[in-house]
Amino acid sequence: MTLSLSDVTVTRGHGRTRTPVFHEFTARFEPGRVTALVGPSGSGKSTLLAVAGALLLPDSGAVVLDDTDITGLREAERTRLRRERIGYMFQSGNLLGALTATEQLLAASYVAGGGTRRHRARAVAALEEVGLADRLKHRPDQLSGGERQRVALARALFLGPGLLLVDEPTAAVDRTQADAIAKLIIDRTRAHDCVTLVATHDPAVIATADTRIDLNPEP
Amino acid sequence: MFLALREIRAARGRFLLMGLVVMLVAALVGIVSGFTTGLGNDTVSALRALPATHVAFATGAKSDQFNRSLVDEATVAGWRQRPGVEAAPLGVTITRGTTGRGLEIDMAAFGVEPGTFPAPAVRRGTGLDAARPGLVISGKLADDGVRVGDTVTVDRLGLRLPVTGVTGDVSYGHVPAAYLPLDTWREIRFGVPGARTTPERLPRDASGVALRARSGADLAAADHALGTLTLPMSKVLEAAPGYKGERVTMTSIQVFLYLIAPLLVGAFFAVWTVQRAPELALLRAIGASRRRLLSYTVLQAALVVVAGTVAGGALALGTGLLLGAAVPFSLPAGTLTATLAAVALVGLAGTCLTLRRVTTPDPLTMLGAAR
Ligand SMILES: Nc1ncnc2c1ncn2[C@@H]1O[C@H](COP(=O)(O)OP(=O)(O)OP(=O)(O)O)[C@@H](O)[C@H]1O
Ligand SMILES: [Mg+2]
Repeated sequence: MTLSLSDVTVTRGHGRTRTPVFHEFTARFEPGRVTALVGPSGSGKSTLLAVAGALLLPDSGAVVLDDTDITGLREAERTRLRRERIGYMFQSGNLLGALTATEQLLAASYVAGGGTRRHRARAVAALEEVGLADRLKHRPDQLSGGERQRVALARALFLGPGLLLVDEPTAAVDRTQADAIAKLIIDRTRAHDCVTLVATHDPAVIATADTRIDLNPEP
Repeated sequence: MFLALREIRAARGRFLLMGLVVMLVAALVGIVSGFTTGLGNDTVSALRALPATHVAFATGAKSDQFNRSLVDEATVAGWRQRPGVEAAPLGVTITRGTTGRGLEIDMAAFGVEPGTFPAPAVRRGTGLDAARPGLVISGKLADDGVRVGDTVTVDRLGLRLPVTGVTGDVSYGHVPAAYLPLDTWREIRFGVPGARTTPERLPRDASGVALRARSGADLAAADHALGTLTLPMSKVLEAAPGYKGERVTMTSIQVFLYLIAPLLVGAFFAVWTVQRAPELALLRAIGASRRRLLSYTVLQAALVVVAGTVAGGALALGTGLLLGAAVPFSLPAGTLTATLAAVALVGLAGTCLTLRRVTTPDPLTMLGAAR
């Protein structure tokens, strides 16, 4: 899968909170590579992820996933695209309070309309890959911040997305955890051959990325 | 099922509480419905047991007709002549008596002409005979200890009536029915204590004329010609003392419960949805369709409402058993099922009031990092 944005203009908010974020932004992203989105707070990193992730429609411009311009899709089709092609790891609040680590991954299958039972073994394997073999039955409130982020990453990757979007993965964890997560993102991107965008302030994450895009707030 | 059950398990305290509330409402509806049926039976089962389609009363009686209305023999004879109608006089009056063994009883005396259709079928003993006085008692009086062969003395007059048979468990105005020949009934209704009036000198009246009308019989014309007012059985029931008032009371309690149930369930699910809003936004963000969120929420509602209702039904039945035969409570399976189905339905309707909110959380809120 490839992702390209051309002449994307985004404004957030309405009326008095109306905030221009991007003006005619253009970029192209290749599979198997990690792009770090870098910029000061408020520069639009999360907004760019949301546009790429079919959560937010730009005012103008094209957002093309493979051959489809997602700006032309109906809401239900964008929802479907999110569950089938896109893995999203948010800065926080990724997990469902009622579910164990394993079930967080199965929830992705549930949302995608598939059964959950036959995916259980694969969910366990995916959690082992992110180093959580002995946290399978833990609920979010029984996991550390870094463990939660790793579960979220495993969930984002669980259905083999073509596009992986990661927002500030290391903001809430210590150095060792951050390095581990940065390495995981690179590993998984190579293994799944997905287009990966990471919004980050973290020099360690930026250093491991293949490319970086600097976003600056509109003057 | 996947999310529905796990969320219920995680929030089991709240769901248990909601289930208990649904259970209590369902039990209350069941119990009220049991009393509605029970009291109704107690008031009008003798009228329901009457194989009549209509009863013709005197025009002057606008309410409490069995007590107020009197029709004379000419009127009865007139009705017997009408085409498409089978008619028989019927007398109803409530009185008291004492059996030979000193048992005091209240009874709704139904005067009928033996051999006509209002005469009761007997479960034990023999039916009424025009040739001699006799009493066919409701099964309820038999339960109270009156036996075939006993003699019941009518307190007011000292009239002695041998019990010849037992019919179904019928009563009228909360008093067990007892059937007797119309002539005997006239003595009870019109006789004056102390004055030894012979039956021939008493009025030859009855309370009304029980009718078995074929469809198409012109009852209005007959009413006009004979000066009567004919009511269909559904209206005749309202002539029984207290019936209408009991109905209104019980029905309004039920109506309020049917209004309360959906509001309770609706309020619970409204709060539940607000509490889940961040998670619903997450589910939408990772691609859950609106339909998926709706269907699993409805499933949760169905589980708690159905489980609560079934438990409530069991509680109502248990209450009925505990109350025993002493109180007019009757909850047949059919009534119970219909009542519970209605509770479950209005409960689910309550959820539907709040369903729109399930799909409104905005997936974009997931961007606003730590809230
Ligand atoms: N709902 C909104 N309404 C109005 N303005 C908004 C809204 N959401 C975001 N913005 C504005 O859009 C700009 C970009 O926001 P965004 O969240 O993309 O920044 P960011 O680069 O991710 O920042 P951070 O590093 O703090 O997460 C910000 O200036 C913000 O104030
Ligand atoms: Mg951000």
